[in-house]
Amino acid sequence: MLMRRTSMTTWAGGSAALFVAAACLLPFVGPSTLDWSHVWARQDPDWSILLELRLTRTLLGLFAGGALALAGALFQSMLRDALATPYTLGVSTGASLGAVLAIAFDWHTVAGVGGIWAGALAGASLILFVVMGAATRHGQLSSSSLLLAGIAINSVCGALILLVHGLTGISQSFAISRWLIGGLDAVEPRTLAVYVAVVVATSALVMRQARQWNLLAIGEAWAATRGAQVRRALTTGYIAGSVLAAITVALTGPIGFVGLVVPHLLRGRLGGDDRLLMPCAFLLGGVLLASCDAVGRTILAPAEIPAGAITAFIGGPHLIWVIRRGGTR
Amino acid sequence: MSVPALRVRNVAWRAPAGPPVLDGVTLDVHAGEFVAVMGRNGAGKSTLLDVIAGLRRPAEGSVALAGRALDEWHPTERARVLAHLPQMLRADLSMRAEALVLMGRYPHAARWFESEDDVRIAHEAMERCECLDFRQRMVSTLSGGERQRVYLASCLAQQASVLLLDEPATFLDVDQQLQCFSVVRGEADRGAACMAVTHDVNLALTFCTRLVVLADRGIARDVSAEAALDDPSWLRAFSARVSLERGPTGTWVRYQ
Repeated sequence: MLMRRTSMTTWAGGSAALFVAAACLLPFVGPSTLDWSHVWARQDPDWSILLELRLTRTLLGLFAGGALALAGALFQSMLRDALATPYTLGVSTGASLGAVLAIAFDWHTVAGVGGIWAGALAGASLILFVVMGAATRHGQLSSSSLLLAGIAINSVCGALILLVHGLTGISQSFAISRWLIGGLDAVEPRTLAVYVAVVVATSALVMRQARQWNLLAIGEAWAATRGAQVRRALTTGYIAGSVLAAITVALTGPIGFVGLVVPHLLRGRLGGDDRLLMPCAFLLGGVLLASCDAVGRTILAPAEIPAGAITAFIGGPHLIWVIRRGGTR
Repeated sequence: MSVPALRVRNVAWRAPAGPPVLDGVTLDVHAGEFVAVMGRNGAGKSTLLDVIAGLRRPAEGSVALAGRALDEWHPTERARVLAHLPQMLRADLSMRAEALVLMGRYPHAARWFESEDDVRIAHEAMERCECLDFRQRMVSTLSGGERQRVYLASCLAQQASVLLLDEPATFLDVDQQLQCFSVVRGEADRGAACMAVTHDVNLALTFCTRLVVLADRGIARDVSAEAALDDPSWLRAFSARVSLERGPTGTWVRYQ
């Protein structure tokens, strides 16, 4: 037990240190080299590039990657499906559909908020209720009915996205394709602050119940006879995971792979105890996405490769390598 | 007469829009009893245990735990009194055996980490189920029998006074089957009310205090272990090819 605690501290502490290091160092990575004297003297353009562009973008990457990896870990435990992702239960496809509609119809602002952001949140909330309604039978909710309802709604929204995509003009169609890859961009400090606050609060709520997710990972009967309230747990888990996925997709587009690969790989190394897995997945998922974005904005500079494409490029082959080595369970 | 640990009255259960699986089941289980639940496949053994554990809501009738209706218990409070071992459990779990046993402590403490006391109780349970040696191994690397012992240890770590075990001896070798049933008998002797589904007539006759045979949606036979030795007619309820034979060394179950 003692050894166990030590290795837990090492992993959690190491992940936290990497997260902080990424937040401090990655803003200095980018296509244009910053002039240190200007940065020290807080002179433009270097100072504002660092602060307004690179820092907000790095922080967005850290928290978006964290939110996606945590939502993935949560759904993998809750649904007892090692291949579950934040997108499995349909909410992010709903968010994408809303965003794609906003792009197709040129809704730049809706009620003072960015059109894509508003469309994505509206789409996600709508799908949330549809999936919950479809999955509830006789007042009962089970993870398998959630999974099936989510996959069904996913394919419907996916088809609608293709339809809208095909019917719009060239410029909208290009914008939609670009958005669907998913990537990071500089955000308004105010938007970022709201986003980080929601992510941190929701993540804390999820991690607080880690023992309950452990129980559900074994089975619903198992959890119920150990005193967990299964229906309430599934509902909160589904809503919390969906909030994390939806607000992230609204800001970044559907970035793939982070939510699947990070918790999956960590489970092979750390074991499936969500008390350790969830915090580490959050921290390292953030580091992965922010680093992928830093790579994407430098290797082909001045052109940028979206972070969503980099995560898939790195994540796919890495996963195959791990499977061949037998390092995942 | 003391309040029975479990009081089952006229319980009926059916799948939504299906025929009844159980109908009119009535039974009391007292502290100190170890009941073998027997019967053919599909006779409703697991369903009965699920209804008593609160996992399935009976269509008719009622279940009371320590004199109080099952619905009136808060789930956490109930889990401190009643432990249930389901029949099928996940095998591909990347979690250490020890962590799995510690899950039995969940209803006792709302803390994020278990206390030293919880660890001690979990280790004791693992010791009794002879699985302490592999406490640091991942559940996914254990054999079927080893895993079953870990799951049983987790139920014991719950320190409940009612134990419902659905085929606890599955996958176990002969020696471990005996160990498993004597551990449960030990719990009964210390005052727990235990029910275990089993198909092993010998195990039931050796360790249990009472045999309940389910057939035709209800309880076909409900006999004490001693009475079962004297009158083997209860065997007919699940097979015509099993009989009891008295020999100089005791009573044997004979397969034909």
